[in-house]
Amino acid sequence: MTMPAALQRDDANDQAAKAGRRKLISRWFYLLCIAIAMLSVLVLAVLLISISVQGGSRLSVDLLTNAHSELHPEQAGMWPAIVGTLFVCGVCALVALPLGVGTAVFLEEFKPRRPELRVLRRWIPLGQRRWDGVCTGLYKAMRGLHGFVQLNISNLAGVPSIVYGLLGLSVFVYMFNVFGQITVNESAGLELAGVRHYYQVLTLQRGEVVLIPQQDLQQATITVTEPVEAMLPSGERVTLSLWKPGTEKPTEPELRRRTVREGATGGRYSQKDWYYFRLPLGRSFLAAGLTLALVILPVVIIASQEALRGVPPSMREASLGLGATTWQTTRNVCLPAALPGILTGSILSMGRAIGEAAPILVVLGAAIAKNSGPQHLMDDAVTMPVLIYNWAGRQQQVYQELAAAAIIVLLVILLLVNSLAIYLRQRLRQT
Amino acid sequence: MTGTITQPTALTKRRFKSTAWASVSERLVLVGLGSCAVATLLITVGILVMLVTQSWHFFASEYVEFGEFFSGGRWTALQAKEIEDARFGIWPLLSGTLRVTVIAMVIALPLGLMTAIYLSEFASRRVRSLLKPTLEVIAGIPTVVLGFFAILVISPGLQWISGGSFDTFNATSAGIAVGILCLPMVCSLSEDALQAVPTSLREGAYGLGCTPFETATKVVVPAALSGIVSAFLLAFSRAIGETMVVALAAGTRATATLDPREQSQTMTGFIVEMIKSESEFGTVQYYSLYGVAMALFVITFAMTVVGQMVRRRYRESYQ
Repeated sequence: MTMPAALQRDDANDQAAKAGRRKLISRWFYLLCIAIAMLSVLVLAVLLISISVQGGSRLSVDLLTNAHSELHPEQAGMWPAIVGTLFVCGVCALVALPLGVGTAVFLEEFKPRRPELRVLRRWIPLGQRRWDGVCTGLYKAMRGLHGFVQLNISNLAGVPSIVYGLLGLSVFVYMFNVFGQITVNESAGLELAGVRHYYQVLTLQRGEVVLIPQQDLQQATITVTEPVEAMLPSGERVTLSLWKPGTEKPTEPELRRRTVREGATGGRYSQKDWYYFRLPLGRSFLAAGLTLALVILPVVIIASQEALRGVPPSMREASLGLGATTWQTTRNVCLPAALPGILTGSILSMGRAIGEAAPILVVLGAAIAKNSGPQHLMDDAVTMPVLIYNWAGRQQQVYQELAAAAIIVLLVILLLVNSLAIYLRQRLRQT
Repeated sequence: MTGTITQPTALTKRRFKSTAWASVSERLVLVGLGSCAVATLLITVGILVMLVTQSWHFFASEYVEFGEFFSGGRWTALQAKEIEDARFGIWPLLSGTLRVTVIAMVIALPLGLMTAIYLSEFASRRVRSLLKPTLEVIAGIPTVVLGFFAILVISPGLQWISGGSFDTFNATSAGIAVGILCLPMVCSLSEDALQAVPTSLREGAYGLGCTPFETATKVVVPAALSGIVSAFLLAFSRAIGETMVVALAAGTRATATLDPREQSQTMTGFIVEMIKSESEFGTVQYYSLYGVAMALFVITFAMTVVGQMVRRRYRESYQ
């Protein structure tokens, strides 16, 4: 009796050899997997070590307290950038978090259900068949809106951040030039509050000026030919007296302080309060914060939705069954239960906002010559990632080291923010 | 018998709270939350309006030809001194973007997928507790930091290995850095997809005598393929839109070549250079920003939509 061909081909020895080979392949695959997985740990280690080696020597108090300096790079620091990041991210959080959580609540808790259809049927006269169709159509449109918003958010999450930067440039910085084009060193646009325009004229007292209120905003300079009302820098209102060249100069300082040469010219000068506000927003930290809010909004929404989905339906149903309205249920049951998740997601997205450079670079420009934080609402700002980008792009060794040191500071801040998120999550879970 | 029934005192003295305010506030809240949701729609509308109106200024200009924009091989918006000499053909920027992105994908896709397979199929609890935080930390590193890493370590490393045939700024170093950036994203999305495959499929494969390698590659990965492909597409779209790494490490010369050792300006890199040059508002060069941004948006948007469609359409559900 002969063995069938199929069995002959797979005799025992052959089978054993094949199994051995298969096991060997599997073993090698396993080892390859471990090696590749450990590669990411290796990359992280190389990154952290190389940056610490490059920047370690520049970590000093100077770095934290000074401003950027072209002339003395050894003493350059990042204090304005730290303050600027704080302001920009503050605006971003104030806008993105309420808007994001609100949208998530709308999408998760206020889904149109059958009762809405019943309400619609009551509002619109019953008994007529064609109205019934309209009711169902409206109801479907409401459901459609939900689905469309959801789809839109997942698409927004995929838009590159630099496109948001350009959106911020058009919408917040220039506002499509609806309020006129803004130019450097000129007051333009629709100024709503907190600014007074003057001309600045030198007086006879050396180094002191008087301020003459500006009447016509288009006129760039003034020539003093007659005594006018003016203001001393201290705020005191005076009438200017004129001195004709050739006559004798007044001697007492009080009089010299409010006397100007006849024919003296003065340039424009604006006093801005902290609440100075105008449209369009221009290259201000406010515009940067709003732009950044657009970037992280999808992240906040998606994280909050996940957190709300994690609330057990039984809790929601219990509250609704006791007669609470949807909003009462949301406020008293769902939001408190989802709070740890929402907080964690929000803080993590703020971490992303702190490190985001591209949109801010587009909105505020790449200039870093600023030695303080923003002074008023329309002031520009420097942020840490933009400063790092600028320093890293320079050839000199000293700026390369400064960039590495600034990166260490940035990473430490991000680490603190993320640990705060983890701590809050643990803490809120326990209570 | 007296026929009157008195109500208990608790019920007669009970003060009913009006629900009128609750139903009014319900509607107010609904309007408020609904307007939040509509605001997110407005962002999309804003992006579209901004891109169309601003790039209209660009395409309507007499120095720009619509056909040349898509087919032209020279892009000299920043180099040309006179507007008459400037050429606006997107190919150099597009090919620069593709070079960097392809290198990034060559790095991120296999490594990310292998790491995901390891995490979901083989890793012990202790290894997971080391590897997952590492990947989360890499995902949280600001992109500008990775750009700095590319010019600090990767580019000198490549020059050292190749004996100096790489430019100081080159597509490869930027591509590797973008790959590192995309790796955690590929890994976590693929891992989610792999973990959604039911254990019974794996047990079936083992029961038939498969080795772990065969189970992973012939059963689990095909079952999770839609999730993995959508992860790949999302990572691709992320890599195309990546800005700070290429602005720092990929250089500023826009050339249409295939040589990964040369400088390659990408679309995002051009936008950053244009912003840095502080070009006069309203010039054709300024509006060319929006032409490039339009191309960028269309490509990434298509990628995202296809990625979501793949995930929805080809999702295998195991109930």
